[in-house]
Amino acid sequence: MPKLRIVKREKDLSAGMQLLGIFLACLLAVGLSMFLLWGQGKSPGKGLLVFLEGGFGSSFALEDMLIKAIPLYFCSLGVALAFKLKVWNIGAEGQYVWGAIGATLVALSGISENSWVLITLMILAAGGLGGLYALLPAYFKVRYKANEIIITLMLNYVAIYFLEYLVYGPLKDPLSFGFPMSPLFPEQALLGAIPGTRVSLALILAVIIGIVFYVFLNFTRLGFELKVCGESPRTALYSRISPARLVLLSMFLSGFLAGLAGFVEVSNVNRLQTSIVVGYGYTAIIIAWLAELSPWQIGLFSLLLAGFRVGVENLQLEMQVPAAFSLVIQGLLLIAVLIFSFFKTYKLKFKE
Amino acid sequence: MKMNPLVSLRNISKSYGSVRANDKINLDIYPGQILALLGENGAGKSTLMSILAGKSLPDEGEIYYQGQRVFLTSEKDSLALGIGMVYQHFMLIEEMQVWENIALGQEEGFWVRKNKIKEKIKDLIAQYDFTLDVDARVKDLSMGEKQRVEILKLLYQDSKILILDEPTSVLTPQETEKLFAGLRKMAREGRAVIFISHKLEEVLEISDEVAILRKGQIVDRVATRDIASPKELALKMVGREVLLDLKPREIEPKEEVLKLENVWGEKLKNINLSLRRGEILALVGVAGNGQQELVEIITGLKRKYQGKVWLFGEEARLFFDSPKSRDYLAYIPEDRLGMATCPELVLTENFLLTLRHHFQKGPLVDYKGAERDLWSKIEEFKIKTPGTHLKARQLSGGNLQKLVLAREFRREPKLIIAEQPTQGLDIGAMQEVWKLLLKAREKAGILLISGDLGEALSLADRIAVIFAGEIVTTFSSRDGEKVAQIGFFMAGGK
Repeated sequence: MPKLRIVKREKDLSAGMQLLGIFLACLLAVGLSMFLLWGQGKSPGKGLLVFLEGGFGSSFALEDMLIKAIPLYFCSLGVALAFKLKVWNIGAEGQYVWGAIGATLVALSGISENSWVLITLMILAAGGLGGLYALLPAYFKVRYKANEIIITLMLNYVAIYFLEYLVYGPLKDPLSFGFPMSPLFPEQALLGAIPGTRVSLALILAVIIGIVFYVFLNFTRLGFELKVCGESPRTALYSRISPARLVLLSMFLSGFLAGLAGFVEVSNVNRLQTSIVVGYGYTAIIIAWLAELSPWQIGLFSLLLAGFRVGVENLQLEMQVPAAFSLVIQGLLLIAVLIFSFFKTYKLKFKE
Repeated sequence: MKMNPLVSLRNISKSYGSVRANDKINLDIYPGQILALLGENGAGKSTLMSILAGKSLPDEGEIYYQGQRVFLTSEKDSLALGIGMVYQHFMLIEEMQVWENIALGQEEGFWVRKNKIKEKIKDLIAQYDFTLDVDARVKDLSMGEKQRVEILKLLYQDSKILILDEPTSVLTPQETEKLFAGLRKMAREGRAVIFISHKLEEVLEISDEVAILRKGQIVDRVATRDIASPKELALKMVGREVLLDLKPREIEPKEEVLKLENVWGEKLKNINLSLRRGEILALVGVAGNGQQELVEIITGLKRKYQGKVWLFGEEARLFFDSPKSRDYLAYIPEDRLGMATCPELVLTENFLLTLRHHFQKGPLVDYKGAERDLWSKIEEFKIKTPGTHLKARQLSGGNLQKLVLAREFRREPKLIIAEQPTQGLDIGAMQEVWKLLLKAREKAGILLISGDLGEALSLADRIAVIFAGEIVTTFSSRDGEKVAQIGFFMAGGK
């Protein structure tokens, strides 16, 4: 009787094979999604076409993908930083919201006429508020051993409700005919687009932060301490590294990055409104996980998942697919990539 | 042998990369027999036994159980045949209680019948004369106690073949005696016991037969009663004569580096200690008598205690806040993999753990410089490794310990706390470590916490005996009269 055995691989897969694996995983996810489409009585072939065209098929689509990828990228970097330390920050959504609020408050404050000054202050306020909001669960974790998963998750709702309060209340634009949104930002508060495109200049910020992130983790002493602490808190203590201090620091930075995403988003839509809350913080968890916390891969997966989002939006418009379909595809992709990552460490062997 | 073997290994080979860990090994295991597996670090003992325990698969070869060919593809397969192993690094769930750890995965039916399970465990504890609280949390246990939990796990499911990897390395002489009594009992009941060790006297004392491994091959297999002396055995193992005697010459002790005044802790009772640069003070005692807490207090890992601790004439709290503390004090912990090193990090990173401030360029870490330095240490300390990009867990115990020592001595410390520094090392490595410690003594005061009385006696200038959190007595290791009474002191006699 042939017997199937699971055997641990002795060598890592080559980079080419890994890329192929991820590609196959995407194919599997998309294939399964189309199967679901077929189950709804819609043509999967047309669906696939609409999906791909909407997500990746035109320069307009690619621009859309980039625009969505940038906040996703920042959130994911933040999440990954906390995950490095095995602190499960699933509160990027809330930290992102606070970042948006911080940026908005500065933008509308009229504190400076100078665009550079104003934008710098917006960045600091967004990152700072996001960071502080992440520091709260970190403090509870360090001081009272409270579970950060639960606290960060619940704080997301607190942040979102606070945002709603602001746009329905004190920050409501008197000219908005009752719509819950803040006034438009002054000209100086807008980041603007890369000339000739609709893509925000935040792309440049993303590249810079990505490099800083990589250098920080791989070459600095603090990054080294973070790595040690994530691997083994006991060894960290032995090496006179304080895990508590690192938890606080990494959560602050994690929130800071998510806050930046909030800044990028409001400076792109020009105002604070509830529609900016679209679950970037949750998608970020998937991205961080898929990318195995590597900043380059986070970039790649941010683009991919942003493309998926845009593609599904197109599906929604053209084929009347429910909005939840986007989440379904994300979930399928996660599962597919997890299956692949299993085969990265193990292989199947047939034995007679 | 008149009996049929319980398990036969035939032509077992296993390679890790270019290293041939096992090379066509044949071995028979008989019921009712204690078989010692002897060999230097990296000789392939652990590899062979992990194959038998189903933890790794051989590249080639066959395994027969009572004459029938079997495939041990997982630890489950091996356990089902009654083959179980106690690893050097324990596989226990720290947060769970002793009885939970033992019963884990062996619950019968839907309900966990707590009382019944506990009764059965208590019976086993009594049967083998182990001392253990079934309700204690594993994280609160000493290494010796954890080992007993591991053994009970196997006995609980009535394993027929028990493999113990370096079991005595974490035990005191008394605990070792108890373990041996237990093992003999298991053999009398018809179980097969495989005992992996480097300690020659022990092998002679406990085993019925000795199989000697060298470089992945079994070079000899002899009945223990045919072996005349440990020296002969050592010769067979390393292929060269080794000295087992090492007499330290006394040097003039210098200034005091460590002083404890009336220190009280959870377990500790009124500890008074003093250590000078240039001397080795051995703290001996049965494991679990407060040694761990004492070490934690001295190394600054535990800051809650009463009394005064002075390090280099400074109060401990002040000392640990000063930059001096980064290099003056070196700690070589008992737990090499998991405390002294990070199993998943590569050697260079592990080398940097306590040396990172030596390789700092602004906010950056000078990995290249550290790697160069590590290479020179690898040569100096004769660490056997193909490179610096190996993970710590891929290194054998002896080589890992040498890495830790190389790192800690690199800091040129003035006070060294060495906890079971030669545990699990072969004679060659053990002697190297001893020589290194004796050399370090010229510049540092060394507090040696050892379960190996021979080690304590051959290295230390003074000996302190700890019992039930108290230091019973302190005396010179040349005081023959007191030395003869150590066993008496370790049991709490005054």
